[in-house]
Amino acid sequence: MPMTNPKPRKNMGQLRPGAKSSEKRMSEMLRVDHAGEYGATRIYQGQLAVLSKRGTRQASAETIRHMEAQEQVHLETFNRILNERQVRPTALTPIWHVAGFALGATTALMGEKAAMACTAAVEDVIDEHYQNQLDEIGEDETDLKATIAKFRDEEIEHHDIAIEQGAEQTPGYRILSNAIKAGTRLAIRLSEKV
Amino acid sequence: MAESPQETPQVTYETRRRVLLLAALPIVAFEGWTDATLSEAAKVCVIPQGEIQLLFPKGRIGLLEAFSDWADEEMLTRMAGADLAAMKIRERITFAVRTRLEVLIPHKEAAQQATSLLAVPVFGPLAAKMLYRTVDQIWRGIGDTSTDFNFYTKRATLAAVYSSTVLAFFSDETEDHGETWAFLDRRIANVMEFEKVKAKVRGAAQKVPSPLGVLSALRYPNPTAKGR
Repeated sequence: MPMTNPKPRKNMGQLRPGAKSSEKRMSEMLRVDHAGEYGATRIYQGQLAVLSKRGTRQASAETIRHMEAQEQVHLETFNRILNERQVRPTALTPIWHVAGFALGATTALMGEKAAMACTAAVEDVIDEHYQNQLDEIGEDETDLKATIAKFRDEEIEHHDIAIEQGAEQTPGYRILSNAIKAGTRLAIRLSEKV
Repeated sequence: MAESPQETPQVTYETRRRVLLLAALPIVAFEGWTDATLSEAAKVCVIPQGEIQLLFPKGRIGLLEAFSDWADEEMLTRMAGADLAAMKIRERITFAVRTRLEVLIPHKEAAQQATSLLAVPVFGPLAAKMLYRTVDQIWRGIGDTSTDFNFYTKRATLAAVYSSTVLAFFSDETEDHGETWAFLDRRIANVMEFEKVKAKVRGAAQKVPSPLGVLSALRYPNPTAKGR
């Protein structure tokens, strides 16, 4: 059968590259979200390793455990989405594995308020990051947007709890907070691409 | 024309690319991966010369990539009929690699020419990309869902196994490719040995006590133990 239907041809050139670039951007967004949730669980695990030792359980441990459980759900959701859409994870997971845990453990060793300051700083950046994504993602991704919106609400909740628990009373709060925020932003940029 | 106007142009586009590719493969065996091959193949399946540029904007290189993607897809289709759940991971991997190579058997000459073209250093990144896609599809095809660093170690290990087995496949003159399958089994056995060593190292590393417990006890002393 001779194959001549010249009509659709014109669209093809435009449709293909455009479709590809948005797919690539979507992969980047999902990759960084997954990396972020992975890092978050590691931060909380680091904090719990210090604050939730047998016999020396600290008051904040229960709160952190609750946050950690939510981050775990977020992470599992992105694990699933990454596989569904065949998006590769970041190659930096070994770094976030160590760095997240170290950040959590270090701030927890500085004090319970410092641990909360760490949470407030990280969640603040994550909130901003998710909001940017919600603005960027088109209306054709309703389910994904709903998921991200829900996660964002929970991250804000973590932030607010941390402030409530005296995050800002940490000695050197501003410096600590800004350092952690800068680190988190860098981590986001790296995880999008690598 | 019987086609409805609702039909997406993309489907037609992919189909026409596929038709051109399949027409090109027998020609490649004699002419190599050249733009002339592409042009000749278009004549065979009555695709206007002007459309080649649209279907394969990168010319012969695009055709090469399409060949690899087609073989990956074909592999997945054939794998879909097998009872993967009944196989161990190593058996699934062996089966997948073997299937991928079996797809190439009727086009062995074209595949071999592709490999020698890709050996030219300028095509290094492209060769790597195609190899990555193949091993990625194999892991996904056998149901792997890792999203941590294992994602990369698994693909790297398989890339080593796959690329060496392909070379064994090309030099294999036996009727049933028995040498290739034996070679593949040996490579998989190597990997399993290595995995055993890794597991041992991991086990040993876990026995090392963490300094965090000591630090944590210093920072947050146990009030009952101290009697305060």
